[in-house]
Amino acid sequence: MSLDPRIEAASKFLLQSPPGEINDVLNDVRTIVSDDASLQTGILPALESYNVAQFITVDVPGQSHQVIVSEAGRVEGSRHRFIDPRSHTSFELDHIRLETSDPQAVDPDPESEPFRAALETATLAYVADHFTDGVATVFKPSSSPQYVIQIVANKYNSTNFWSGRWRSEYTVDVGKGEVVGRVLINVHYYENGNVQLSATHKPTFSFPPYPTLPPTTSASKILASIELQEGEYQTSLNDTYAEMGEKTFKGLRRALPLTRQKMDWDKVMGYRLGAELNASRGATISSSS
Amino acid sequence: MAGEMDLLDSMLDLTRRLPPMSIEENVSSLVELCPDYADDLLGSVDQPLKLRTDHTTGRDYLICDYNRDGESYRSPWSNEYHPPLHDATYPSARLRKLEIAANDAFDTYREMYFEGGVSSVFLWDLDDGGFAGVVLLKKTLNPATNASGSWDSIHVFEASERGRMAHYKLTMSNDKSNSTMGTVDLSGSMTRQVELDSSLTDSSSHITNTGRMIEDQEIKMRNLLQEVYFGKTKDVVHDLRSVDSLEKARKQREVQKELAGLLRK
Repeated sequence: MSLDPRIEAASKFLLQSPPGEINDVLNDVRTIVSDDASLQTGILPALESYNVAQFITVDVPGQSHQVIVSEAGRVEGSRHRFIDPRSHTSFELDHIRLETSDPQAVDPDPESEPFRAALETATLAYVADHFTDGVATVFKPSSSPQYVIQIVANKYNSTNFWSGRWRSEYTVDVGKGEVVGRVLINVHYYENGNVQLSATHKPTFSFPPYPTLPPTTSASKILASIELQEGEYQTSLNDTYAEMGEKTFKGLRRALPLTRQKMDWDKVMGYRLGAELNASRGATISSSS
Repeated sequence: MAGEMDLLDSMLDLTRRLPPMSIEENVSSLVELCPDYADDLLGSVDQPLKLRTDHTTGRDYLICDYNRDGESYRSPWSNEYHPPLHDATYPSARLRKLEIAANDAFDTYREMYFEGGVSSVFLWDLDDGGFAGVVLLKKTLNPATNASGSWDSIHVFEASERGRMAHYKLTMSNDKSNSTMGTVDLSGSMTRQVELDSSLTDSSSHITNTGRMIEDQEIKMRNLLQEVYFGKTKDVVHDLRSVDSLEKARKQREVQKELAGLLRK
């Protein structure tokens, strides 16, 4: 199958969509490509990758909570079927409309479920305590010995031209007693312009390997470390902001010249080219009158 | 045809949404998709300014659509096109004189505010007897170190003389400014437009008039960028995640409410 270059370009644009603006980007792309039929099937892989990469959340059928669409939650061998570990449900996902359907009960793995559930309880408590609109899901993919904690918080304010997304992911390796994380922050501000913040942080820490401690104790310890690491990172981000404002911004352009006064244009003109321009004094005005 | 306007609007909307750091790549993809709109798109989207060296004077200058003729660019210092071009367009002798003076003046401005970087001014005659110009300024900071940044400004103006007055219309784009430290990157572009009437004593008034306008706009733009980059985006991060415990804050509010209730009794 030869890939249509228009679909390739459209997919690339979609994957770069700022938080909460995938539909706006999709609308632009539809006008630009103006071939809905090819687009509809062609961009599906890009939308699937976008949803997974951006921790897009969807409603779990029959539940009042949301789940993060994640590679870790994909039902093995299935393309559109995902698991909500919290309610032990699997469901079909429409990647374009983000609609879920056909819920089916899934039996959790009795061996890993107690620790997963403990991590989930601790994660939900942490998210409620620090994120205003946070959603979290804790996965235990059957194909891997690791647990995956995902957290996402979104704020979309199109009236005031900004949007933001916070994503955290922690892979918990109980055998090694190690947690490997990544925190991704994106902000888009677009009133008469286009300004974007992109920040990445990769915290890693260890904990007493399970089952040294009971699952709930172990989970609380892990989440306490996450809370500490994310708090420290957020504080350091504030310092980075201050430093950037001080160093790079001032280094790029001074607020005012060294003289602390605006430039004296008459004087500069006088110094540098008075003589030459005076020779042609009035030339412009006489030519137009 | 309504469709054509929609198409250009959609392309422009897209460039306002996709990451500013990838603007060049995305614009070239759009040009490949819709080659018929290449001129419209390239004329409306400011891309990062590029440097060229004037081989006659050895000085660096900036290139953009306004000093381009075919594949060649005119240097503001020697007035020569690189690569050399036959039948190239040049400003009239009167305007070139003003252009030389403007380049000198903005070179001083650049040194005073940017303490480095490169500036270039290009002027061109308009059919109605007036003229237009573009003032370009670029500064790049330590690309190799942990803290890097860049500032590009593009000021496009039109001057029309009305007796002893001149009317100026100025569009300033800051495109792109960028500030990176470690794994934190802030990039963007912003645009503002102003119109102003000023008096003319002689042709050099055009330089002092546009100079003051540009200086004022850049001061405003710098404040705005500072506010948006280091204020607005920071506020959004805090809207996403609170450093302090929200639970504690909720409890505190409840205690305060209770206290207020008790005091009222």
